[in-house]
Amino acid sequence: MDSAFGHLTVLGSSLVLLCGLTLLWRRGSAAHIGAFAAQSVALAATAGLIAVVTGSRELWVVAVILLGLKGILMPILLKRMDRRFGGPRELEPYVNTATSLVIGGLLVVLAYIVTWPILDVSRLPTRAGMPLAMGLIFVSLFVIISRKKALTQVIGFLALENGIALLAMLGTYGIPFIVEMGVFLDALMGFLVMQIVIYRIQETFESIDVEQLNRLSQ
Amino acid sequence: MRLSYLALVGAPLAAALAAALVRPYLRGVGAAGALLSTLSLVAALRLAGQVLAGATPTWGPSEMMRVDALSALLAVCVAFVAALAAWLGPGLGRDERYTPAQARRFRIFSSLFAFTMLIAVTANNVAIMWVAVEATTIASALLIPLHVSKASVEASWKYILIGSVGIALAFVGTVLGYFDYVHLAGERESALNWTSLMAAAPSMHPRVMALAFVFIVIGYGTKAGLAPMHTWLPDAHAEAPAPLSAMMSGVLLAVALYAIIRWKVVVDLTVGSTLPDRLLLVLGLASLAVAALSLIGQRQYKRLLAYSSIEHTGLMCVGLGLGPLGAFAALLHLVNHAVAKGMMFLLSGRILDRYHTTEMGEVSGLLRVMPVTGGLFAAGMLALAGLPPFGIFFSKLSLVRAGFATGHPWLMAFVLVLLLAAVIAMLAQINRMLYGAPPDGVRVGESNRWGLVPLALCAILLVAFGLGGFGAFQTLLDRAVAIVSR
Amino acid sequence: MARGALALLQGLLVLALAPGVVGLVRWLKARLQNRRGAPAWQPYFELRKLFGKEVVVSENASWLFRAAPYVVFVSTAAAALLVPVLAVPLPIDAVGDLLVVVYLLLLGTVFLALAGLDPGSAFGGMGSSREMTVAALAEPTVALAIFALALSAGSTNLGQIVARTMADPAAAVSPGYLLAFGALFVVTLAENGRLPVDNPATHLELTMIHEAMILEYSGRYLALIEWAAWLKVLLFFSLLGNLFVPWGVATVLTWAALGWALATLLAKLVVLAVALAVFETRVAKLRLFRVPELLAVSFVLAVLAITVSFLVR
Repeated sequence: MDSAFGHLTVLGSSLVLLCGLTLLWRRGSAAHIGAFAAQSVALAATAGLIAVVTGSRELWVVAVILLGLKGILMPILLKRMDRRFGGPRELEPYVNTATSLVIGGLLVVLAYIVTWPILDVSRLPTRAGMPLAMGLIFVSLFVIISRKKALTQVIGFLALENGIALLAMLGTYGIPFIVEMGVFLDALMGFLVMQIVIYRIQETFESIDVEQLNRLSQ
Repeated sequence: MRLSYLALVGAPLAAALAAALVRPYLRGVGAAGALLSTLSLVAALRLAGQVLAGATPTWGPSEMMRVDALSALLAVCVAFVAALAAWLGPGLGRDERYTPAQARRFRIFSSLFAFTMLIAVTANNVAIMWVAVEATTIASALLIPLHVSKASVEASWKYILIGSVGIALAFVGTVLGYFDYVHLAGERESALNWTSLMAAAPSMHPRVMALAFVFIVIGYGTKAGLAPMHTWLPDAHAEAPAPLSAMMSGVLLAVALYAIIRWKVVVDLTVGSTLPDRLLLVLGLASLAVAALSLIGQRQYKRLLAYSSIEHTGLMCVGLGLGPLGAFAALLHLVNHAVAKGMMFLLSGRILDRYHTTEMGEVSGLLRVMPVTGGLFAAGMLALAGLPPFGIFFSKLSLVRAGFATGHPWLMAFVLVLLLAAVIAMLAQINRMLYGAPPDGVRVGESNRWGLVPLALCAILLVAFGLGGFGAFQTLLDRAVAIVSR
Repeated sequence: MARGALALLQGLLVLALAPGVVGLVRWLKARLQNRRGAPAWQPYFELRKLFGKEVVVSENASWLFRAAPYVVFVSTAAAALLVPVLAVPLPIDAVGDLLVVVYLLLLGTVFLALAGLDPGSAFGGMGSSREMTVAALAEPTVALAIFALALSAGSTNLGQIVARTMADPAAAVSPGYLLAFGALFVVTLAENGRLPVDNPATHLELTMIHEAMILEYSGRYLALIEWAAWLKVLLFFSLLGNLFVPWGVATVLTWAALGWALATLLAKLVVLAVALAVFETRVAKLRLFRVPELLAVSFVLAVLAITVSFLVR
């Protein structure tokens, strides 16, 4: 039973990571938003699974909020932003797709190496998925630095938050409730502020191509 | 005890609410905000007094908030600079530069900014501290483009993106620390309290905590402007309106460093101080080098001040990696820098209003156009350059002594060379600004003389710190150092 | 003795089944596209027709052109003998394992590419260069994907991998296995010239890869090459089916076990044929310069599979 639980959580973590890698693979904004929504749903499912097995009511709330906020609400807002700005459908990223994917794979291997000491310490059945969560964190960082569209950078950041949430879930079955709520609030506020700034960017630059943000360079 | 704390954090929150609820914007709201910020400062001083008397006030369920000497020191700094910004910011006097909407936005977000910073420095729960630091990014990001322009929008985007990424990494470190504690001591409501972490530190797993510390330093270091995560800083601090820059450069960087310090104390107990010290030394030196090199050839005075902030934060970081004496130097430096940088940015705001340009080449004859402003600006520049009798001279001296004491003579030589380069760069530029003939079309004579009073007070404080400071301040500083270098 | 008989049986079985599997896929695609389609045993008729036809060889062709179909056919058939189809342990597994299979397939690919270049026609050269681009990325992924499974089993012997999965059912849903399955599925599409990598039914210059290489072939040569291509499809289906869902494969050599193995094999082939047909109908062909991206995805999936299997005990 324990082993099946461990396997299923690792399966969920793999799905979350794969959605993150999809951000490196596909190019259009619609694909990115879809990948993020799928990732959040997979994350919520994993949270729900852990909640069922550990009987933690707090994790249930976390799972529901993840589903509602990041699985439904944020993709809707992102799609609305995408429709407003349009812009070129596919911007060539700084690093081409095939290389990005290979780098993504290498980053996951790096994540395994980095989380080795953690795997030694943890005794939880969910520990096998922690390197995957760390891998998602690294891959999301790479998405943020290698993509040119401001919208994609925001999605990369949201994926980064998903990775951290997954890490917390797998490592300690979640964090204290008050903190979790504070984190959610921060995440939501941060996202809204980013939205506002992107609107501003669109107004002043008439595009959300980050390459145009290069006036301040000294 | 409780009342002081409530006043400390409640006052800025009330100011923000007042500004948000009152439509349209009234100058009275600005005045109320300024008075509330003074109340906050008084409360901070009272808390500091209580700490000096031996108490350690706590507040909240499972002691979420706790004020010890280090917190009190930083709370006073934050409240002071916030009060400066509140008294000298838009929306108070008769101001044609800012529309009422802009003034209202400033009042709301700068008060929120102060509120979140105060929560961050008085939080016992490291996760609450994290939430508050993240909130500072959110509160300040919307204020940077107060005057909307391509440059300011670009600066605010870089700020919020890089800042949020950094904060997210700091959260990874926090989660790892919590993870280690939980696997040691079981889950408890107070698991994320700094005091609990300190108690459990010697028995935590070194490799996990080392990994956590790396994430913490990179994460909070991004907010502190340490190289190589500093790329957002010159843009954000230069494009923001002057009072906001004063708060960001003066105290936000210090708050981020405070977060690193809190974690360092815990990790030192678990891992030993070699790794954390080395990490901080490397990052501090990198920041120092980047800043020194960028100061040479700087053409805009606000960016000059921003790079100077990177330089000073780098210095503080180096100090933190040099043992107890270095910690003393770093904290002394922190206080002096907060006052000096706050004053300098507010002065730069006055210069911008008069000359309507940020290029140093186009500013000349400052001493003739605005004698008091120019004089204070010169004094501040000398203070930042680390010349006596200002306090930064003594903190730099202590730093170098600490370096020699811990066996890093070559390192200190390198630091001194970089500092020299920075000083020469800054002083050369300031000379060009102060002397010479004023350009055409620039009105001569000070405007808004009352606004100069707080700034003159800052200058006096800087000299006072240099000449030995107040006894109470010294004691508080010593107690804070004792916490850091346990 | 029994093992020799088993080897013969397996060889004949794969040779006989291969055209049927591809015929089934074609028929399903036709039905999904609202056409009547040729019956599933049409490929058998095609083979008979081609074997009876005259061979026409270009004047510029060398011995390579004539030798290639035989090399391709023999190497693919040999590889098919080394893959777990009916029973484990495999009859000739003293000779070969995973790496030998990969090498044999690569041998066939290289000879086919050379044969495409040999007559000097424009289409052939173009097809060969495209094929090598795809093969360069796909071949290592085959090895890596199955290597991930080999890591858990402790040996690259395919029979042992199957035995190990049968002994430990929980491993079949482990992420290492699932990632390897994903990688192998994408590689199946690439290696066999299926959508979205290549369209097996097209002869348009812009879109063909495999068809371009064999454009010059006719008669029995074409028959051998087509048969080898169908064998490859069956080979990959057997890998996908028997490595990841090994239940049904016979471990003892009794008629009952073999009969059951045959039944489950046919069931797995039908399921995979349906999956392939549905998938091909659903996706559009990728533009050629996007194919490396898809293959990079499968490569990364394989690397992830290895990492997950290796570093998590």
